[in-house]
Formats: sequence, C-alpha cells, structure tokens
Amino acid sequence: MKQKKNWLEWTVFVIGLILVGGTLAYLSYDALTAGKAPPNLQVVLGKPEPRAGHFIVPVTVINRGDQTSEDARIEVRLYDQGAGLERAELEFPFVPRHARREGWVSFQMNPATAEHLQARVLGYRKP
Amino acid sequence: MAARPVSKSCQEYARGVAGGLLFSLPLLYTMESWWTGFTASPEALIVYVLGTFALLLGYNRYAGIREDATWAEVVIDSVEEMGLGILIAGGFLWLLERISLAMPLAEIAGKVIIEAMAVAIGVSVGTAQLGGGEQGTNNPDTQDHWAGEDSSEEYRFGGQMVIAFCGAVLFAANIAPTEEVVMIATGMPTWNVLGLALLSMILGAFILYYSNFIGADRVMISGDVIDIIFGVVIMYAIALLASASMLWFFDRFEGLALITCVSQTVVLGVASTLGASAGRLLLQ
Repeated sequence: MKQKKNWLEWTVFVIGLILVGGTLAYLSYDALTAGKAPPNLQVVLGKPEPRAGHFIVPVTVINRGDQTSEDARIEVRLYDQGAGLERAELEFPFVPRHARREGWVSFQMNPATAEHLQARVLGYRKP
Repeated sequence: MAARPVSKSCQEYARGVAGGLLFSLPLLYTMESWWTGFTASPEALIVYVLGTFALLLGYNRYAGIREDATWAEVVIDSVEEMGLGILIAGGFLWLLERISLAMPLAEIAGKVIIEAMAVAIGVSVGTAQLGGGEQGTNNPDTQDHWAGEDSSEEYRFGGQMVIAFCGAVLFAANIAPTEEVVMIATGMPTWNVLGLALLSMILGAFILYYSNFIGADRVMISGDVIDIIFGVVIMYAIALLASASMLWFFDRFEGLALITCVSQTVVLGVASTLGASAGRLLLQ
C-alpha cells in the first residue's frame, strides 16, 4: 500500500535536510579552512581569592592551535624578592582546538602580596 | 493515493526516538566517543557522516518500513532519520552537560556528529522494527512482491550483506570507541586472538544455521555444509570489515604494529559478529 507523505513528514524532512546539509557544509568548510598547527596553549591567570588557610588562583587555558592537546600540565610559580617561593601544578585532560578550559591552583602564601605569579605550560601530548 | 495520517507518522517518530535511544544510549554515555568529537579531523567526520548515510540508505532500502519505497523515498527517509539523530544526540548531550554554548562550534559539532550517526541508525531500526501489527515487515510475501523483478537471488544476497553490515555496526559501535579494545588486544597472546576469531565464526554459525533463531530461515538456503561455510565466512568477513572501519575511524590504528591492529579488529569482531548474525536476523 503506497501512501503520500503528510505535512508533518515533509516538515521533519526539511528540518532533517537543513541539519544534515548544514552539518556537511560546516564540516566541508572546516576541512578546507582549518590549519594543521600543533596545539598552542596560552595560560591566563585570574585574580587570587582567599580560602580557609590558603589562596586559590583561577587558571584559564586557551588552545590557539588547530589540534587538541591531551594531558597538558601547567605550572604556576609564586615569586617574591626575585626567588621562586612556591609552586603549584595542575593538569587538563583535554583542551580541544580553539577551546578554553578552566581550573584553579592553590598557594599557602598570599599571591596578592607577592611580587608576581608566573605560569608556564610544562608539556602535553597528542591524543 | 492518500496522504498518511499524521497520527501514524507521530507513532513512527516515537518509535524512531525510542529505537535511537535504545541502541545508542551506551555510546552517548561513553567518554571516548565525546573525545573523538574534538580529536577527529573534519575530513574523517565527513567520511563518517557519508558512511552512515550510505548505511541508512542500504538499511531503508532492504529492511525499511515501506517495502514498496522508491529510491527517492528511501533518500527522504534517510535524511529524516539523520536529522532526528542530530536533534536527539544534540538534546541529550546538552542535557548531560557534554556540550554548551561556551564551547567552540567545532567541538559541539564534532560531539553531536559522533553520537548522532549511531542514533540515526537506531532511529531507522526503531521505526522499521519496533512497530506492532500491519507493517508486515516480517512477512516474506511482501518482501518478495515489492522487490519486483529484482527479487532474484543476487538481490536477496545483496540485501542480506547490507543488513549484516548494519547489524555489525549497530552492535559494535558501542564498544568500538572504548579503550578496552586496545587494552585487551595488546594484552592477549596471538593464540587467544586466533581462538577468539574461531569462536566468533562458530557463534555466528550456530546463530545463523542451528539455533532456530527468529528469521533464520531467510539465510538458510539448503543447509549443506558448503553453504554453511560459505555463509559463515561471508558473515565474518563483513564483521571484520565493520570492525576495522570503526576502529580506523576512532583512530585506534595509528602508530601501532599490524598485529595489534588485527588483534583489535578480531576483539571488536566478536561484537560485530553478533551484530552480523543475531543482529541481522532481528533487524529485518
């Protein structure tokens, strides 16, 4: 028994076509324009906040490269009077390309009264 | 030629949603599949979408709900199912906090696509198989009549292969992205891998030719040993092909020795075999 499609089915079809077509168009665009540059992590430190007995500093990692990084380790050092007094470390399992991930490191000393905080990316690997 | 009542279409969509979730929820809850969403290259994703579309076309052609469907209708149905898959996957991932607007579009799109394709196959199977009464999908008479002059041995055989491949993908997709496959494959002596391959074939042979499984009479031609060996070899070849393509897609072969790749294919092949034998019989 053959039956024609009703308005609901045509509506679902059109929505489906838009989604599938949009997906393919977006992927093709991405495939044609995306670079192949390795992960490029930029670390931005936020304003330290006091917590019970310690201080936390927000850490934002932005991957400006075209590939995902896995297990990126970030080190933050607290310097006062020219000497590195304390260090903290944290790890980001995945930072997809052009994505940002957030976390915190904690210090015993007050980073606000210290000379400066320095963050660096220790390393990461290809997923 | 009257239009189908809207209520009937709604029932079909409801079955599709149920089927989509039934078959792909394990994948939606698997972290490696989310990760693949942002680690896969756009080229690989395109291949993945087109491959799934081809599977949907094949499935809808040979086992779909409307047995008298023309190719145009099959294409329309497949697009609908893929759209539903994208909507369901997107909605679920959003609900599970796996995607959010703060993420780059590439990450959102990747995750949704990975999950949506599995959901779409589930939608297709659900629409066609989960319905009660009047569908007549299990009726061999309609099978023969709609195929018209195509209903030759070659045609039936092609259809069986397509459905076996769909079954293999549907069942193995839930395991393919997991780390466990490579963990098992690297920790196994080659003899065990060989044993697993033989076990898969024996399992497939029992399901297809011995256990009186539902619908098994369709693949059973004469029952002589040559036919059984022929059928089992083809079934296992399809299962291995499905395994290898999924593992390749999930980037499980990169930088590994050939033996590890083959072992992984065989390890995942157990799931594909069940899909290509028992799954195939249930899906048509």
